[in-house]
Amino acid sequence: MNKELEHSFVELLQKHQNIVHKVCRLYTNNTDAHNDLFQEITIQLWKAYPKFRGDSKFSTWMYRVGLNTAITLYRKSKRRIYTQEFDALEFKIKAEEYDDTEEQQLKLLYKAVHQLNDIEKALVFLYLEDKDYREISETLGITEVNARVKMNRVKKKLKTILNP
Amino acid sequence: MDELELLKKDWNKHKSDYKSYSDTELYPMIHKKSSSIVKTLFYISIAELVFWILISYVPYFFSDKMRARLETSYENPLFTGLTIFGFLIVLLFVYLLYKSHKSISSTDNAKKLMESILKTRKVIKYYVLYNLIMIFISIPLSFYFEFNQNIEFHDQVAGFDSAQMAVLVAMVVLITGIFLLLIWLFYRLIYGILLKRLNRNYDELKKLEV
Repeated sequence: MNKELEHSFVELLQKHQNIVHKVCRLYTNNTDAHNDLFQEITIQLWKAYPKFRGDSKFSTWMYRVGLNTAITLYRKSKRRIYTQEFDALEFKIKAEEYDDTEEQQLKLLYKAVHQLNDIEKALVFLYLEDKDYREISETLGITEVNARVKMNRVKKKLKTILNP
Repeated sequence: MDELELLKKDWNKHKSDYKSYSDTELYPMIHKKSSSIVKTLFYISIAELVFWILISYVPYFFSDKMRARLETSYENPLFTGLTIFGFLIVLLFVYLLYKSHKSISSTDNAKKLMESILKTRKVIKYYVLYNLIMIFISIPLSFYFEFNQNIEFHDQVAGFDSAQMAVLVAMVVLITGIFLLLIWLFYRLIYGILLKRLNRNYDELKKLEV
């Protein structure tokens, strides 16, 4: 029975692993940290899998456990905090030589998103993943109205970071 | 164009950029040891239960004098009652800790998950507080018993003038206070470091409700 459960879980995880990678991409700055977080999310997903009833989509369930791990459960290593500070410094230098091409703008946008706090990142992540406000509010445990308000603030904050 | 729309357009282009783990790579990964803060919190709470239990019972096993004294103390029904009460309190905390650890679920929404973790931390906090209060009560209490039962000590203290008595009381209060403060600061430090990020994120979510 346990083997069967394990098999079905790994199959689903293998299929949807990009969701985990995308969470890691937003919450980490280097490959080591990305792999560390990927590992922890995988463990948390497996631990929670027996409780997965199948009444929601596996992917929807993954967003929740993945974000919970990144925001709350995962213990950041010192190495990562250091790297983040370094990146912020690099961003300031680059912002001064701002180039208007789309590619350059995207690069700056990704860096700006990395400067947001954990909750703001979660909002941006779910937005980028095309989730509606109902799902965003259910994942974070806030009301739909507050999710909208916060999203607008995040958009403004990004604008300020990009055009200081 | 909205910045986020531009980002969204790009976001899904990178599907093939990520490493794709095969089934055989994923199997060992799911059985690795977790390093989540819930696990750390669990170990700390177990360590605390054991620590406070040891603090109360180690003297009994390591000092013959202490054992003899404790055994005579058990003749006093008040002392026996207090010991049974202490045991019941420890059992109650074990039960509460078990219940709150069980209620932590990574499939809850972000806010509820944070609340369950903070609730567990609260249970440990109350346990520590209970122990500190017990220490605070038991120090003057043991002085009182010593005064009544130890004739040598009684005579010595009875010979004190009021200034000497005031100094003695002040010393006892000061030493107890410093001891309790140090333990309290130690706990604040451990949990402060462990739960700093969680508290910050929880405040951020709470702020949205105002």
